[in-house]
Amino acid sequence: MDPKVLIVIPAHNEEKTITAVITKLRQVAPDYDRVVVNDGSRDRTAEILDQLGEKQLRLIHNLGYGEALQTGLKYGLMRGYDIIVSIDADGQHQPEDVPRLVTALQESGADLVIGSRFCEGHSYNTPIDRRLGQLLFSHLTRILLGQRIYDTSSGFKAMRAAACQTIVNGSFMDFHIESLVQLKLMNFKIIETPVEVREREHGRSMHSIASVFKYPLKTILLTVVAFMDAFLLRRTK
Amino acid sequence: MSVQGIILIDLMGLGMILWILNMVRTKKLHIGFAAIWTLAIVGMMLIISVPPLLYLLPVVVGAIFPASALSLLAFVFIFMVLIFFSMQLSIISARQTELIQALALRELAEKEEKEANS
Repeated sequence: MDPKVLIVIPAHNEEKTITAVITKLRQVAPDYDRVVVNDGSRDRTAEILDQLGEKQLRLIHNLGYGEALQTGLKYGLMRGYDIIVSIDADGQHQPEDVPRLVTALQESGADLVIGSRFCEGHSYNTPIDRRLGQLLFSHLTRILLGQRIYDTSSGFKAMRAAACQTIVNGSFMDFHIESLVQLKLMNFKIIETPVEVREREHGRSMHSIASVFKYPLKTILLTVVAFMDAFLLRRTK
Repeated sequence: MSVQGIILIDLMGLGMILWILNMVRTKKLHIGFAAIWTLAIVGMMLIISVPPLLYLLPVVVGAIFPASALSLLAFVFIFMVLIFFSMQLSIISARQTELIQALALRELAEKEEKEANS
């Protein structure tokens, strides 16, 4: 029996890109359900989604990427989906890669597949501060988990329901390294598969100058919390 | 400390306690927060009004002057109150997030139910 797959698309002010992403997803993954988490958009995103007849979870205030994704994961778990795929609404991820990620998940027996911008010699043009942060966290996973995860901050992932459940109940910010550490410590299998990522053409990135300092600190703190969570959960079990 | 000083501080303390109680009465201040502030004010009034307590304080905290000991105590208190308020804000923020998410999930569930019935 084919697994029930849900594609979760967190969107904040993505009126310029959402139509193309949805249209492409309808073409390349017609058997998968979709839900857009409209994260307090103030532009025409909600209106466009209504016109397209897309399911949307309307967050009345902007909660941020992590909480928007969490809402989508909660919806997927409530509706009994077996696999949940997260993809960005800004058009950077290629919808064509969605079936590939799901296949990789099924064939490898992994619990989480990361659509990676950096693995196996792939490179992605990213600002130097974020590239350095990426390298730092990537090596951190090797030291902490014994498995190097090249792209710890990818928003393009396919995951099984059990992994989602663990994440939804844990402490997480953006579903980045902190969640990966927790999943890995809970013995979930994580793999990466290379994906092509386009440059952002419209809208603004969620990363600001302040986030250069805030993000690493928050992520390190949450990684420590993830360690504590995993330790306590394992002891309870 | 001079008698005038003690009277002045005690009067100020009593005034602040009355102000706090009035805020609780008019539902502008939660009783839990009122208790913390009242306790702090009563503590301050006691230390200043009872001379042996005032002179014992520097010995306990290892300060030379009572004023330094009081400043340290005030700093520790303010620091703890700030952490407590950060915690309260985080709890409120987390509850608000849960509510917003629940609202979105319920709205979509109702829409789907309506579509299924029609």
